[in-house]
Amino acid sequence: MHIIVETRGLVKVYRSDGVATPALGGLDVAVAAGEFVSVMGPSGCGKSTLLYLVGLLDTPTEGTVMLAGADTRGLSDRERTRLRREHIGLVFQRFNLLPTISAEENVALALRLRRRPVGAAAREMLAAVGLQDKRRRRPEELSVGEQQRVAIARALVTRPAVLLADEPTGNLDSESSDRVLDLVARFHREAGQTVLLITHNDQVAARAERIVRMRDGRIIAG
Amino acid sequence: MLPLANILARKVRTTVAVLAVGVGVALFLVLVGLTSMLREIADRTTNVDAHIMVMPAGGPALLLGGGLPADKIEARLRAIPGVAAAIPVLCWSLNMAGRDQNAFGIRPEDWPYFAGPDRLVEGRPLAGGAEMLIDTRLARAGGLRLGDTVERLDRRFTVVGIAREGVAGRVFIPIDTLSECLQNDSRRATFFYVKTAGPAAVEPVREAIANLRLTAFTLDEYYAKLANLLGDMNRVIGAVVVVAGFVCFLVILLTVFTMVVERTRQIGILRGIGASRLQVFGLVLAEAGIILAAGILAGFLLTLAARAIILHVQPLWTIDIPAVRFAYAAALATLGTLLGALYPALRAAGQNPVESLRYE
Ligand SMILES: Nc1ncnc2c1ncn2[C@@H]1O[C@H](COP(=O)(O)OP(=O)(O)O)[C@@H](O)[C@H]1O
Ligand SMILES: [Mg+2]
Repeated sequence: MHIIVETRGLVKVYRSDGVATPALGGLDVAVAAGEFVSVMGPSGCGKSTLLYLVGLLDTPTEGTVMLAGADTRGLSDRERTRLRREHIGLVFQRFNLLPTISAEENVALALRLRRRPVGAAAREMLAAVGLQDKRRRRPEELSVGEQQRVAIARALVTRPAVLLADEPTGNLDSESSDRVLDLVARFHREAGQTVLLITHNDQVAARAERIVRMRDGRIIAG
Repeated sequence: MLPLANILARKVRTTVAVLAVGVGVALFLVLVGLTSMLREIADRTTNVDAHIMVMPAGGPALLLGGGLPADKIEARLRAIPGVAAAIPVLCWSLNMAGRDQNAFGIRPEDWPYFAGPDRLVEGRPLAGGAEMLIDTRLARAGGLRLGDTVERLDRRFTVVGIAREGVAGRVFIPIDTLSECLQNDSRRATFFYVKTAGPAAVEPVREAIANLRLTAFTLDEYYAKLANLLGDMNRVIGAVVVVAGFVCFLVILLTVFTMVVERTRQIGILRGIGASRLQVFGLVLAEAGIILAAGILAGFLLTLAARAIILHVQPLWTIDIPAVRFAYAAALATLGTLLGALYPALRAAGQNPVESLRYE
């Protein structure tokens, strides 16, 4: 089994105005390539913190994140950006899209930022999430569920090793939520996409192959 | 693509910023253009084939009217060793092409001192009587052609010649005709041009003239005086440049800073989907760059429009703006914009992506 993401003794303490808030207290989790894992836990338990650390958007207070076999401890911002570009696709809970450009341009942007040719890739990816007809629409002209599907298309158009999704259905009604989750499950099933899905919802978590349960910055099961 | 879309999403703010840059650019260029008026006057005056201007003691006050008895002064000037020619000019204000023009009354035989042989583009030099010779600019502005008549000072003048612009006056008439019109009983002069035997004679001649209790200064001095004035004007323009550049800097700073702050979360998203700090920095600068480019273009267009309007209202004014000044204006606007955009761009690039993402 090939481990693509692994955290080792991950500790995160936020400091603001002299107040220290512990968010993660020594967290170890590993995700194998091709796995669909959900991280489940109540609000404030440190799920987003974990996602930001794995996505290399933030650095841990202690411990390290291993990404595709590379230890990311002590890397510069530039090196973390490079690894993020290579391996990570991110989807957040809401307001994922840049509001001034079309759905297709949002997807294409992920390629442009990597100086990769866009060609038909953005359009095909939008077709894959069922939005080929709405590709010229701007985010405000799409429903929230459609916006999340565009965000998934944008995260996956670069063929990342891991899709990191932070409560991607948190703002959706159950029908749109199912559609988004079906989509994620389909990419996992058909393309072997590795997925780390964060949620506080049991039913959403249940869509994954494996559920990791968190509480107060620690893993309690899984 | 993205920077343009971002800019277009805020039309009013973008328009204001573009106009601020544009007005600064245009203000600078129009002022530069207006200084060319002084240069044109200086050039015209020094195109006269003479070395010294002579005026009544205490002059040069108003260059108008017959303060000097022409024949008597001429005789005295000619008696000075080293004087090759003394050329009387009687000035009077004539309304031409809707403006007051300083008409030069000259002796017809003195015309060669005012213009070389190829200056006359139409007609002939003055011969005498109610004749008028004008320059091409006045001809254009007043719609005057050879043979046209102009009723002035109770006389009907006929345009007998048109000289290419660059001659000292825009209107020439025979000095005797003008004297008569002004009801002088003898020939009078406002001032004299004196041509000396050579450059070495200029100083001694000037001293001798001063001893006649007349004011004398060389055309070089006159030119230098105008150049000094030009220097003063350039200092004013320099101050305007500083103010315009500072306004440009402030407007860009405010505009771009607001853009960055209101898009805090989007910058976090950008980092999340793979943008480097440098790319965020570049995005902000690109947005400022688009405002700048539009501002420069607006400035150039405003300048050309202002120039056209001014020249329409004041056809005899000179507004020449050398191409290099356009480049200079663009460079100044660029400097102001770069400085203004730098802080917001650095701030955007340095933003912690996680804090940006938690910001809603
Ligand atoms: N920038 C921050 N400064 C201080 N405390 C923070 C900051 N970000 C998150 N926290 C705190 O860290 C804890 C974990 O937050 P988070 O990872 O967002 O949890 P979850 O995503 O599970 O709701 C919470 O107590 C939260 O208030
Ligand atoms: Mg969260």
